[in-house]
Amino acid sequence: MAVSNSPATANYDLKLALPLAAFFFVFFLAPLTILLFVSLHTDPSMKAMGFTQYIKFLGDPFSLGVLANTLWIGVEVTALCLLLGLPLAWVYVRVAGWMQAVLMIIILMPLLTSVVVRTFAWIVILGRQGIVNNALLTLGFADQPLRLLYTEGGLIVALAQVQMPLMVLPLITALSRMDPNLMDASMALGAGHWRTFRKVVLPLTLPGIIAGCLLTYAAAITAFITQTLVGGGQMLFMPMYIYQQSSTLSNWPFAAAISIIFLAAVIAAVSLFNVLGRLSKGYAHA
Amino acid sequence: MSLTRRHMMTSALTLGTMHAFPGLSHAQARQLVFATFTGSWEEAHKDVLVPAFRKANNNAEIALDPLLSVDQIAKVKASLANPPIDVMLHDPGPALQAIDQGLVENFPVAASAHYKDLIADAQVETGPAPFFQVVGITYNPEKIKTPPTSWADIWKPEFKGRVGITNLNSTLGTGWLVEIARLRGGSEANVDAGFKAIEELKPNLAAVAANPGALATLYQQGQIDIGPGNFNAIQILKARGVPVEFVAPKEGAIAFKTTIHIVKNTPNKELAVKLIDAALSPEVQGKLMESPYLIVPTNTKVKMAGEIAKVLAKDHDEMKKKFVFQDWKKINEQRASWIEKFNRDIKL
Repeated sequence: MAVSNSPATANYDLKLALPLAAFFFVFFLAPLTILLFVSLHTDPSMKAMGFTQYIKFLGDPFSLGVLANTLWIGVEVTALCLLLGLPLAWVYVRVAGWMQAVLMIIILMPLLTSVVVRTFAWIVILGRQGIVNNALLTLGFADQPLRLLYTEGGLIVALAQVQMPLMVLPLITALSRMDPNLMDASMALGAGHWRTFRKVVLPLTLPGIIAGCLLTYAAAITAFITQTLVGGGQMLFMPMYIYQQSSTLSNWPFAAAISIIFLAAVIAAVSLFNVLGRLSKGYAHA
Repeated sequence: MSLTRRHMMTSALTLGTMHAFPGLSHAQARQLVFATFTGSWEEAHKDVLVPAFRKANNNAEIALDPLLSVDQIAKVKASLANPPIDVMLHDPGPALQAIDQGLVENFPVAASAHYKDLIADAQVETGPAPFFQVVGITYNPEKIKTPPTSWADIWKPEFKGRVGITNLNSTLGTGWLVEIARLRGGSEANVDAGFKAIEELKPNLAAVAANPGALATLYQQGQIDIGPGNFNAIQILKARGVPVEFVAPKEGAIAFKTTIHIVKNTPNKELAVKLIDAALSPEVQGKLMESPYLIVPTNTKVKMAGEIAKVLAKDHDEMKKKFVFQDWKKINEQRASWIEKFNRDIKL
């Protein structure tokens, strides 16, 4: 990897990163330090220092429940994205050139419209008089409109659609880098479809899968707009919890502590993915 | 050549910084900045209040900075010695926070031409109220043929799965909880009865929206047909062709004072006072009462007309009788714990 040839290039190459480093320092690291400082106050008027905000959060089953729900909804959305995204990426790699162009536009479309617009579209789709309910009623599958909006199921589907490109694009990259002859070789040597997929395709595309999962997961758990508009006002996730404490209640120390805890939890989840990624490399080359 | 690349870079950076932070170079001499609310409020103020103010004050320069209350507070708090805003606009909850945190200056009542004409509830020394926001029952007249008359109607079994409310993040949600608690023997200090009422409302509840804007869209989608709603928000929907109507319940419509404040340490105090006085004047309030703004006036010299006279009150005497004002000082004391309780207990 890069480690082997780094000494020769590092000397001047690193300087090129200085503007970005300065930018990050001023607009990311400094605010983060302030956030940490604010979180270490015991009261909203920020007079005394202490760890009470963290103790309050970590000792409260309700708050921990909100954290767990947020991390879990990310897992569900990521799983759904993977389930739907992998076949799509598979098809993309296999079809003719012009069809690829069409597919790429369809895949990218969600990224080209604003999140707010996409989310409002889901309100229209999932509403009592929405497309889904109308279809169900007309076809006789339901007697009265189902409650789809403001439910967890509705939210997962909407989030999965909104974040889908983040999953599919890395998958396409990984799949198209794979030599198709490898599959033919596997089949020729007597492995079935399933075995070929499990032993050849999956190991070789694992880095792409992990990259896609990472992006989808991080985007899904922090998707304040979609969570709020499709999930509703009584389904509480971490972004809304932070907003509530900081904006409505002006309790900045608690909001800051929630943010730091959320950040730590996300870093932990991301590290877990990274460990999986490293393991997968070993798996692929074994 | 004395003009080296490094010099060029330094001057470019300096110029860039000055451009990005104009406050650095000329902190004192700047135009009056009025932080109004976003959306329809901004439009109304741009169209009516600003021209009236400029006409009365030699075309004085003024800029609107549309921000939510909480953002106004954050912006002023960040630079209290030299605030970037001169006049703030607040809902009752944030107004008290701003006052408590020492961000506002008292309005010089004696110097004002119009303050004495305001109805008693609007005369607040820390910042008078140029208009009211009113909360009543919103319903879809295409689906609900008999107009509701009382808050109690929302609990009727015929509205099973058709009611929408907001959570307590909004002034609307919190004010409504306090009002239904009051109707069942509670008060601003004790809303247990209100929580019990919401518990009983669960079979009817189709949605708990995260904010009033999200609640309004649900009428459009047919997701909900009835619930508490803000008079002005409903008028905007109605103007866009959404089938919604607003009624003031017989128990009284909930009224919030929206107050206008002079920011402490403003370099433009004189103009700030003039702007507030313009906002209190019967001319400006009379114009804002007309369609499409339909903003409820607080000046008793304004004669009620149009939609407001029809659905809310014919005159200020009737307004006093029909409006329910709430004690937000008391509400703010316990709001945090109510929000916590709502988070925990209200699960659909």
